[in-house]
Amino acid sequence: MKYLQEVWGSRELLFNLTSREVRGKYKRTIFGQLWSLANPLALMLIYTLVFGLIFKSNPLPGNPSGLDVFALWLLCGLLPWTFFSSVVSSGAGSLVGNSNLIQKVSFSRIVLPFSTVGASAYNWMFEMAVLLIAITIAGGLVLPWIPLLLVAMALLAVFAAGVGLLFSIANVYFRDTQYLLTIVLQLWIYLTPIIYPIERVAAKSSSMGGLFGTPLTLLGLYDLNPMVHFVALFRQLMYDNRWPDGIEWIICLCWALAALGIGMLVFRKNERNLAEAL
Amino acid sequence: MSDIAVGVDHVTKSFRMYHERNQSLKSAIMRGRTSVHEDFLALDDVSFDVPAGSTFGLIGSNGSGKSTLLKCLANIYYPNKGAITHFGKIAAMLEVGSGFHAELSGRENIFLNGSILGMSKKDVTRKFDEIVDFSGVEQFIDQPVKNYSSGMYVRLGFAIAINVDPDILVVDEVLAVGDAEFQEKCFKKFADFREAGKTVILVSHSMETVRAMCDHAAWLNHGELQKVGPAESTIAAYISSLHPGE
Repeated sequence: MKYLQEVWGSRELLFNLTSREVRGKYKRTIFGQLWSLANPLALMLIYTLVFGLIFKSNPLPGNPSGLDVFALWLLCGLLPWTFFSSVVSSGAGSLVGNSNLIQKVSFSRIVLPFSTVGASAYNWMFEMAVLLIAITIAGGLVLPWIPLLLVAMALLAVFAAGVGLLFSIANVYFRDTQYLLTIVLQLWIYLTPIIYPIERVAAKSSSMGGLFGTPLTLLGLYDLNPMVHFVALFRQLMYDNRWPDGIEWIICLCWALAALGIGMLVFRKNERNLAEAL
Repeated sequence: MSDIAVGVDHVTKSFRMYHERNQSLKSAIMRGRTSVHEDFLALDDVSFDVPAGSTFGLIGSNGSGKSTLLKCLANIYYPNKGAITHFGKIAAMLEVGSGFHAELSGRENIFLNGSILGMSKKDVTRKFDEIVDFSGVEQFIDQPVKNYSSGMYVRLGFAIAINVDPDILVVDEVLAVGDAEFQEKCFKKFADFREAGKTVILVSHSMETVRAMCDHAAWLNHGELQKVGPAESTIAAYISSLHPGE
């Protein structure tokens, strides 16, 4: 409890470090903040070309929204993913990258990984706002779902923060973590129904039946990936424009709280040793 | 002066000296261990009290454990054994300008650095003019700090740190910065500090500085406390240990 108070007490520092990241990032570029939209836009073009037109990923149209635009469907999953992956990868480097600060000044170290969440969230808000406008123009009734969408975004941010904390500590002791992480994240995106619809997995799973003679199905295994549920939440809110299944909310909440809880425990345990370990 | 500002109580700090350090997963897994090491005692059972309102010097040769002790005082390292208690707000100046962002302006960096050092936005706003005035960079305050000369950079960092306004100030040898005029300003600021009844703990290699500023001193040698007491006699003991023949 005392630790939480300490973290809360550093919120002003958190805000300042976040704005350092945000303001420092696009200094001296001509397009400034617009660059933060460039990456998801490029990914969207590539994936739409490859998986929308060539491989024909063919997701079901939004129900009940009736939307049937691959690019929009893709972005509803892709934007939360890029946020998650940027929090985790920049979070992993946050302690090592600020080792000078950690060795010279005493402050609540946890603000360093947290500030990367703030900086990534700031960009994500922009991206999501643009996506909401695009969906509205395409005829989706997404605006009434904004409050729930914000809740879902907060849940994902909490989950990402927890995972980021774990990797930030791991990276201090094993510098391999950052390289390993790039590979893990690449695998992870393909294990999540972002560029293909989950119905494909479900169909494959029911055709295979129980794996190795157990009642465990492929889909059951696949569902262990928390990002599956987060993506489902965002797709249902933004693309389908409907109230997501209650169970999805609960699963996401549990993952978010578990990740943050474990992340903070591990962080706290190692925090005092950071100045020496770096 | 019966009050104590900082109590250092049987502080022991050891570091691991690694003969082989495996910061990679491969070696950790292949060998089933992460390191081979032995402990090195940087501070060995050091105890002393710093009286409130004093200016306290830490002296000793290189590698004597001064900086380790300073980092323990600043809550950056944590002692393996023993405890450090301090009465009042403590601030450390181990490096100036920590956390400056080169692309941001001096003004933005004042707020950023201030909050890293534990000042609230209100504090910084209140002291802003004083900080700028002290640093002497008014003219360039809206320029990115990467365009500052190294002297300006350090002066700005120092001006922020000195305005944190703690009860106990812990200073590493950052005094050796800036030109003579700025150094004079710094000394004056420390004198003001003393007059306000605050405590300064100072690490320095310059015996003149310690003699001029400190009323108490502690002498460390190879992690062990050799002598603690009035500055003059501690310095004399340290110097005579360096010239045993005289």
